Amino acid sequence: MDINLLVGGPQGGGIDSSANMINMAFSLAGYYIFGVREYHSNIKGRHSYIHLRIMRRRPGSLKYPVDIMVALDPDTLFEHMHDVSKNSKVIYDSAFEKFDLSQARMILPDTLARIKEELSKNNLPLNAAGVLEYYHSHGIKTISIPFDKVINENVPEGPSTRYYNTLGAGVTLALLGLDMDHAIAGIKYAFRKKPAVIEPNVKILNAAYDFVDKLGENIANLETYEAKPRMLLNGNDSVAIGKLMGGLRFQTYYPITPASDESNLLENHEEIEYLSEEAENLRKGGLVVVQTEDELAAVNMANGAALTGARSATATSGPGFSLMAEGISFAGMTEIPVVITFYQRGGPSTGLPTRNGQADLDFALNTGHGEFPKIVLSSGDMEECIYDAMKALNYAQKYQLPVIHLIDKTLANTMDLVPEIDVKKVKIEIPEYNNDENNYKRYSLNTSNGVSPYGVFGRDVFWMTGDEHDELGHVTEDPEIRDKMMEKRMKKLETAAMEIPLEDKAVLYGNKEADLTFVTWGSQKTLIMDLIDELKKENINANMLYLKMFEPFPSEFVESILGKSKTVIDVESNMTAQAAKAIRLNTGIKIDNYILKYNGRHMTIDEVLTATKNIIDGKSKMEVLKNGS
Amino acid sequence: MQKTVYNKGSYNFRNNVTIDWCPGCGDFAIVTAVTQALSKMDMDPTKVVAISGIGCSGKTPHYLNIAGAHTLHGRAIPYAVGVKLANPDLNVLVMGGDGDMLGIGAGHFVAEGRRNSGIVVLLYNNAVYGLTKGQAAPTMPLGEKVKSIPRPSILGKINPSALALASGYTFVARAFSSEIAQLSDIIIKALNHKGSSMIEVLQPCPTYNDVNTLDWYRKRVYKLENDKSWDPEVNSADEDEEKFSRAYETAMTWGDKIPIGILYKNNIIPPFTERLTSIVPDYFKYPPANQDICDKNGYTLVDPFKTFNEKVID
Repeated sequence: MDINLLVGGPQGGGIDSSANMINMAFSLAGYYIFGVREYHSNIKGRHSYIHLRIMRRRPGSLKYPVDIMVALDPDTLFEHMHDVSKNSKVIYDSAFEKFDLSQARMILPDTLARIKEELSKNNLPLNAAGVLEYYHSHGIKTISIPFDKVINENVPEGPSTRYYNTLGAGVTLALLGLDMDHAIAGIKYAFRKKPAVIEPNVKILNAAYDFVDKLGENIANLETYEAKPRMLLNGNDSVAIGKLMGGLRFQTYYPITPASDESNLLENHEEIEYLSEEAENLRKGGLVVVQTEDELAAVNMANGAALTGARSATATSGPGFSLMAEGISFAGMTEIPVVITFYQRGGPSTGLPTRNGQADLDFALNTGHGEFPKIVLSSGDMEECIYDAMKALNYAQKYQLPVIHLIDKTLANTMDLVPEIDVKKVKIEIPEYNNDENNYKRYSLNTSNGVSPYGVFGRDVFWMTGDEHDELGHVTEDPEIRDKMMEKRMKKLETAAMEIPLEDKAVLYGNKEADLTFVTWGSQKTLIMDLIDELKKENINANMLYLKMFEPFPSEFVESILGKSKTVIDVESNMTAQAAKAIRLNTGIKIDNYILKYNGRHMTIDEVLTATKNIIDGKSKMEVLKNGS
Repeated sequence: MQKTVYNKGSYNFRNNVTIDWCPGCGDFAIVTAVTQALSKMDMDPTKVVAISGIGCSGKTPHYLNIAGAHTLHGRAIPYAVGVKLANPDLNVLVMGGDGDMLGIGAGHFVAEGRRNSGIVVLLYNNAVYGLTKGQAAPTMPLGEKVKSIPRPSILGKINPSALALASGYTFVARAFSSEIAQLSDIIIKALNHKGSSMIEVLQPCPTYNDVNTLDWYRKRVYKLENDKSWDPEVNSADEDEEKFSRAYETAMTWGDKIPIGILYKNNIIPPFTERLTSIVPDYFKYPPANQDICDKNGYTLVDPFKTFNEKVID
């Protein structure tokens, strides 16, 4: 079983709850789901969609063409003409049949022009009849459902629009052959916080199953399985969970897509549920989340809270991170332990505010004026988001420096079923505190690893300044102390490089002796892992050098892998191959082949597979991926 | 966690770091007033911190024998709020110049009124950017020509006390650097106030501002408390409108007569810290700075499944 689905509709028009019902039903039936949400920077009306994959094993990638497309608005029919193919099924509201493209207010002008051109090229009218004919001529089955009629017959109290999402989901579940019991369980679960709406929604679900029954479709009954409890998480959720587990007790943020979902979730969980009996006797307070006036306040307030010993962090995206640069430089200079979770989106400037990008690696590595130590790490799946968030807080405390944790928008908005969170996987490491009662030197040079004994406001009297400073933290311009302080601070990076285990910096997945090595980072991790399996079926032996830490950089390991690789392909969601640039900078190795994507949409396994074959066949060295509406 | 021990009572709040402000600078008076206030309060030196931004004012924490953070230009307030909210046991003093607070940091100055976190902001008002050689600060009036600027200023001025009132600070006062006893008294009252305080300190810059000199101020200032009927305290909602309006009017009084003293003190608006207890009930008992985050083996105390229960599909 491997089903790819697309649910499209107007932003704010129920595609989320539609997808949610499908997710819940299949989760409870023992399947894994994997999905990404694509949307405009818009509250209501513009075309958004959810791309889902349902499998018995846990998928790590999405695929076009989809098997079923659910159109909750007419725009979906036009926006995704190329995302379905022979044998795909397109479900839509019969009312859309009267739709003419001249009414398509929410389709962007250039997109509309392309759609019209495509229809005209096929001598088709510029309306729903035209696009449906397009589908028919390509062997795609369309299923017209009179949404209002079906809903009014079953839940006459209306309004019917309220049930479009359930009808769409219901027809999809029925077409896929999921039994009614699990479908109902899914609906009940999706609406568990609103029990009053369960009954009418179940009626709609019944109607959907009846409708599909009458279509006479030959539907196989799907097997269902015992499902263990799992968490349905996206990247934002996972980082939030990891931060809280890692001891975060102070988080600041200024609203920005796609970062603020993390802080909003934390705002919902400022009261913590504790694990053990032992916790009864411990000092348990809770988390403080502060929405600040801007990102300047966000990073600097997080720095301030860190001065008291509280584990402290903020989360932002590119534009906010730009504003944080000075505060990060200050944290580097004054040795403040702070974590900045950096959700990358399409740039530059406001760029593509709700779309994917991995174009901020260079910026994260070079952020802040002057030379100071910082750790830059990146995550590629839910488990990494959780455990890396915990580790990031540890690194910050242990080495007394700013830690930048990179996530990309695709990962932030990926829905994934996580079977397990190991609460003993990462230990919380408490730094060594100063014990000198009256002569505390916050920036003691008497250290071999660059780390001076830790001290906090409320406990110790010491000073700190963004100016170069002496051991006490007072301003100095003494040339000798300057050299020593620079060397002490930068020494911490060497210490971190030595102490942080290799598996937290880079991992080689797959056969060591492969003919083909993919190099990637971030959300492409699980996609390439799926791809390696696909390639195996075609007798192509591939592996993946997956990068997790860019500062300190695992130069020797990367060199040892790439030094003997035959064909190397760098896969990134940016235009200038920034990870490849980091590799060249640190090792001198130049990668020859690239698969890049910068249209802001999530990569799909089909396009990476095609691009890989083009490179293997020597047709090109640079492939730019184009999938996505 | 072991704690630094200090002898109370005899503690010297001024350390031995050499002060490098210009002779005659109003900043000296602030150091004196702060140390006097802390001594008089018999403050535990580990329970008070000084946080500054950039400029002459920014150097203040280095001269005080308490924990100090000399932070970024304009950002002293966010640092101070971070410290205060993570450890509400601490008394947090902010030292900032007029440029620091009302130019580059104006957004934070205004936002802090909304928060009312319980910090004490000392705004050094000498109408110039001293450390960069006397450019016009946001408090310099339109058309003023001091010796350090080439032509009369073509920018208008902000009235710090009026802006603090409009922003929501629950304790607003204006002081004058030559009236050290009054300033010290205001600082004590501000430190004892639950919400956020803003104390505007009028002061000369003998090097760059040859208009607003010591004598210029001396001729104009008068103390509000000399009028026995002056009562800036709001203890119930029904007296707020009148007292706020009078405070605002008084704050806007400028020219031949400049009032100094406490303009407004609202005791009924809860500080941000108290508001947090509605979400985190044990916030004051175990604030972010004073919590256990792991068990004796170093493992997390947080149950992710129970805490984020709504994400579990079961």
